[in-house]
Amino acid sequence: MRVRGRFAALLVIGVAVAGLARMPASASEAGTPQQLVETYDSLADTILAAKKTEWNLVHSLLAMTYRHAEGTLAAAKGKLAAGQNAKPEIEKLAGLVTELASEGDARVAAVRKRLVEGGHHHNAVGEQQGIYDEGFVIVTRVAKKALLDAAGKVARAADAAALDAAWKTVESEFGKLHAPAGR
Amino acid sequence: MAHGACFALALLPLALAAASCRTSPRQSGGFSFVEVGQRAGIDRMLHAGRPGKDHLLDSTGTGAAWLDYDADGHLDAYVVSAWRLDDGAIVERGKNALYRNRGDGTFEDVTDRAGVGGEGQWGAGVAVADYDDDGRVDLLVTNFGPNLLYRNRGDGTFENVAARAGIEAAGWNTGAAFLDADRDGDLDLYVAAYIAHSLEDVLAARRTLDWKGVERVALGPFGLPGALDHYFRSRGDGTFEDATVAAGLEDRARAFGFGVRALDVDDDADLDLYVANDSEPNYLYRNEGDGTFREIGLWAGAALDENGAAQAGMGLASGDVDGDGIVDLLVTNFAEDFSTLYLGEGGGFFHDASRGSGVGPATYRWLSWGTALADLDNDGDLDLVIANGHIYPQVDQHPELGVTYRQPVQLLENTGSSRFVDATARAGPGFAVPRVARGLAAGDYDNDGDLDLLLTVLDGPPLLLRNDSASGSWLEVLCLAPPGRGPVLGARITVEAAGRTQFRDLASGDSFLSSHDPRAHFGLGEATRVERVRVRWPDGKETVRESVPANRLLVVTKD
Repeated sequence: MRVRGRFAALLVIGVAVAGLARMPASASEAGTPQQLVETYDSLADTILAAKKTEWNLVHSLLAMTYRHAEGTLAAAKGKLAAGQNAKPEIEKLAGLVTELASEGDARVAAVRKRLVEGGHHHNAVGEQQGIYDEGFVIVTRVAKKALLDAAGKVARAADAAALDAAWKTVESEFGKLHAPAGR
Repeated sequence: MAHGACFALALLPLALAAASCRTSPRQSGGFSFVEVGQRAGIDRMLHAGRPGKDHLLDSTGTGAAWLDYDADGHLDAYVVSAWRLDDGAIVERGKNALYRNRGDGTFEDVTDRAGVGGEGQWGAGVAVADYDDDGRVDLLVTNFGPNLLYRNRGDGTFENVAARAGIEAAGWNTGAAFLDADRDGDLDLYVAAYIAHSLEDVLAARRTLDWKGVERVALGPFGLPGALDHYFRSRGDGTFEDATVAAGLEDRARAFGFGVRALDVDDDADLDLYVANDSEPNYLYRNEGDGTFREIGLWAGAALDENGAAQAGMGLASGDVDGDGIVDLLVTNFAEDFSTLYLGEGGGFFHDASRGSGVGPATYRWLSWGTALADLDNDGDLDLVIANGHIYPQVDQHPELGVTYRQPVQLLENTGSSRFVDATARAGPGFAVPRVARGLAAGDYDNDGDLDLLLTVLDGPPLLLRNDSASGSWLEVLCLAPPGRGPVLGARITVEAAGRTQFRDLASGDSFLSSHDPRAHFGLGEATRVERVRVRWPDGKETVRESVPANRLLVVTKD
């Protein structure tokens, strides 16, 4: 991915420089050459589209995790109803809820770290205002905290009622996050 | 086995030495620590990169360990050093130091004779264990570079067998812990790692991070690539295989790892792993009982602070601070953030109790590293000691910001109800001078029944804070096991005295890049006798001793 990205950037610059070389000297003296402006404009579309794509990707990631969690919840409750050991399912569910809180698992965190290292902050202003953790795209700090607390309650749940009570928080928080991409 | 027999005999002086230093029971009467490092002969300069600390490697410092390498009953000290740089040039490759305890309160530098100077590597941490079960404790030194495994030959000398053992893993290695993860009778090894940088990166580093709009300081850890931790499974023949992925210990977040501790968080008699990560969630790897692990830190409540935020984990400590029989965790963090006390709830669950316990408010201001939960006044509960010191010397140029490079080593007294109060100001002259401290190891080097403190600092000699507190009764327990009858790791020792039950988990690798006294130390207050001492060995078997007099070393050998 990184190689392809670099290749695209080089291509854009290459086209621009080639265009500039073809311009008459008089045109290049009258402010920023139009072709460069257009190229930059095109690049801006790409940058903004990439940001929107990031939002959509993280949103999909959350939705998939949530669906997975719903299935795991059902499996856990089924086992509890049958009087079977539901600990593996309950712990799996707790893990999935932490993934909702963290916008993915540790591998996603590593990708996120790479983005932050490169200076990309999806919600730079929101981070400065204390609304988002560094690099987070959708899950606010408040939602993260609520989901983490819920994950802890899921993991501690000894029966279906406790599981349901914890899940209500997850449901509610996910509902708040489940907004259309408008960024 | 022959070595084991020799070692068992050699341990006799350990008990005799402790007994000879036995004092009459003392009452808790406050703290008094005196810095005696230079006087005692622990005086080798510790290097730490460039004066301006242009790269984080210049600032992270090194570890220290207590060990009894010659089995004479007196704790010896091992201190790790880095290099000295000037701008982009290497001025001096530091040498680690082994100080042999003469038994009279002084130490002799035996580094060269023992052959444990560090092979010219940029040193980081140290862990101590009898990894090859020959009854003699060996030394693991983690490096910015290949790790070293100094095998104790038993004649006062060591040989580096890291390459042969398969644990060199060149990189920026930090904290390490030995543990028998799969309960097969031999010790496995976890080594944390920090940033994936080369020496060229370090030498070329410039201060580019804007600090509060007033200074340019060293960049990181954000903005730098994380390095992968390693887990080495022992083959039982003195060699190891990298089983990081197979054991479920893959460092998936490529987190910036520092402190490591093996302990049993869920009381199921196998050893779990806790890793302090800088600026990212801490890892709590639960042992699934078969030598594989599952990372549960986030939902177990031990990864983040009470607000769900990752902190800059540096060092860590564990112990039962509230006397409920459940292990608690302590993680030291960056300045203007608090060190975090995670109280155990049982079953491997924790919650952040920093604010209510007093630990948070007392530690908020300082940048914290090495630490220990230890009963420093022998009153029967665990106090907290923390090594502090900033990473940016430039902060001293701005006194208006209220931040200093040198910071006090802190002592927080446990008032007995899981509340801590800052007792630094009344802890004696040893705590009065601000330092740029990093590693910290607690151990009773003078066998007088109280715990002394060995600390590393940046660009200075180590500190030895002798504990002269007027304190209560005590018991120290040394656990030995076949085949080599070396000190055991992973055992849990529980003592019952005067209506109080306390326990300790024996570990190697703790604090920040450091290792504490291999003996379990208990303060007993006014008790003169321990009703029961119970040792739960790593294989789950138990040994019980009853009606043990206080103020002595108890050696318990596994049948």
